[in-house]
Amino acid sequence: MKKSLYETDEAVMEGIRRSDDRALAYLYKLHFPMISHFILNNSGTEDEAKDIYQEGVIVFYEKIKDNSLELSCQIKTYLYSVCRRLWLKRLAEKGRYATKLEDTDNFVAVEEDTDQHEEQEKQFGVMGEALGQLGEPCKSLLEDYYIHTHSMQAISDKFGYTNSDTAKNQKYKCLQRLKKLFFATYKPGVR
Amino acid sequence: MLEYRAYEQIERYLNGEMAVEEQQAFEALLRTDVRLSEQVREHKQLLDSMQQYGQRQALKQKLQNIHSEMEAETMEASPNTWRVFWNRHMQTVAVAASVSLLSVFGTLWSVQQLKAPVQQQTARYVELRREVERLKKTQTAIMNGINDASKPAPRAAAFSGTGFAISADGYLVTSSHVVEGADSIMIENKAGLKYKVSEVYRDEIHDLSILKIADSTFGGFGKLPYTFKTNESELGEKVFTLGYPREDIVFGEGSLSSGSGFEGDTTSYQISIPLNPGNSGGPLLDDKGNLIGVISGKQAGQEGAAFAVKSAYLLQMINELPASTTMAPMVLPKYNSLLGNPRPQQLKKLKDYVFVVKVYN
Repeated sequence: MKKSLYETDEAVMEGIRRSDDRALAYLYKLHFPMISHFILNNSGTEDEAKDIYQEGVIVFYEKIKDNSLELSCQIKTYLYSVCRRLWLKRLAEKGRYATKLEDTDNFVAVEEDTDQHEEQEKQFGVMGEALGQLGEPCKSLLEDYYIHTHSMQAISDKFGYTNSDTAKNQKYKCLQRLKKLFFATYKPGVR
Repeated sequence: MLEYRAYEQIERYLNGEMAVEEQQAFEALLRTDVRLSEQVREHKQLLDSMQQYGQRQALKQKLQNIHSEMEAETMEASPNTWRVFWNRHMQTVAVAASVSLLSVFGTLWSVQQLKAPVQQQTARYVELRREVERLKKTQTAIMNGINDASKPAPRAAAFSGTGFAISADGYLVTSSHVVEGADSIMIENKAGLKYKVSEVYRDEIHDLSILKIADSTFGGFGKLPYTFKTNESELGEKVFTLGYPREDIVFGEGSLSSGSGFEGDTTSYQISIPLNPGNSGGPLLDDKGNLIGVISGKQAGQEGAAFAVKSAYLLQMINELPASTTMAPMVLPKYNSLLGNPRPQQLKKLKDYVFVVKVYN
């Protein structure tokens, strides 16, 4: 990888907007040590560091993707702030309170972003659970159609339906069940 | 079936697949039908969150891949997990090691401290056989070997003690602990006479052994200058001994300080002669030149407390010999030529009959 390609924050953000995976990988590898160091210094494990960091990167990535990020500082600072906030929450959930957080960097206020992210995570958690409860082949069927956007014809071939109408019928039944499962647990919040 | 159609319609509407008129009609319907619009809203939310969920899963997978790729890279950079472990736990390991070392040596030291006074209180009996400095000898032997490769270097004796003649025809006495575990025994005196001997009788209880010269070149000792005393000697009597605590013969003088030996052992005397390893088996004589005992040992940590087996037990053993072995009765010396001589004269006469006993094994 040519390092100079993503030398500046702008270049990295531009790369992510273009859905360039190399930009994402570059960003990820660049800042992981900092977060890992921070988490490990504040009574976390390496697995927790990885978890928190990935969530932080997701927040950043999503914000870039829908162009809603007005970055007033470096990416590094932003990532640090997000991860710091997420980690504080995680600690509070676990009943462990960091009496004194060892900060390795300065940080900015990112409460809004992380809260939004958590709301989303909750929703996705419910969705994942609902899909899990749905069982096969419904889960794969819906995923293939709505997430991977396969054609109805390909799906009926894959699942061995005689024609796409049978597949559609099956899909409808699955969707109906998913809807029930999903709204049974998910109470929409601020969205 | 109706619902199924409705779903189709909703999806088509949401995907913007409807024709313009159809869409307008549907939108009009939405405005009036609250239930339908609610359904559309829910459906949209469901599909949206499902799609976003899919995207999020994909993104997470991507990050996971990046992470493992990164880990693989760093693993290559630092392949030694032991080093990582060491770096992280070095301090703990160091502390643990020093604590354990400290406790081990501390325990050893304090046990030593506790043992020291106890050691002084328990009397220890030390047999005075000398362990020859084998290392030094071997070294010289090696050097000799370099100078003269044709001859094999003589092996050094492992132990040495003292012994003395008891009859003219080649019998000697020494302490049995001196010749214990011997392969072969050599004797040598100040005059340079050197004989191979064998042990013919052993009395472990009194720590005495009879040796006989096994050399064909041996022609007899001649007349022995001392006699054996049959009764007990008196306290305070001046006594002396000759022995080989080192390579040369050493004279030692003192007095008979007790009629019993180590821990009240009535078969031996306590004498106040400074003795060293190698003195074991030496003759103990009084002023008149009577042999009154055989040096056997001393008490550890106690000054001037050495012990000698009384001559009565030596004589008893000699008398028992013909009964227990096939040996002919021994002719003991009857004439004492030391009597009345000054000490140096006595020693001059005596020293040829005192041998260093070298034990090989």
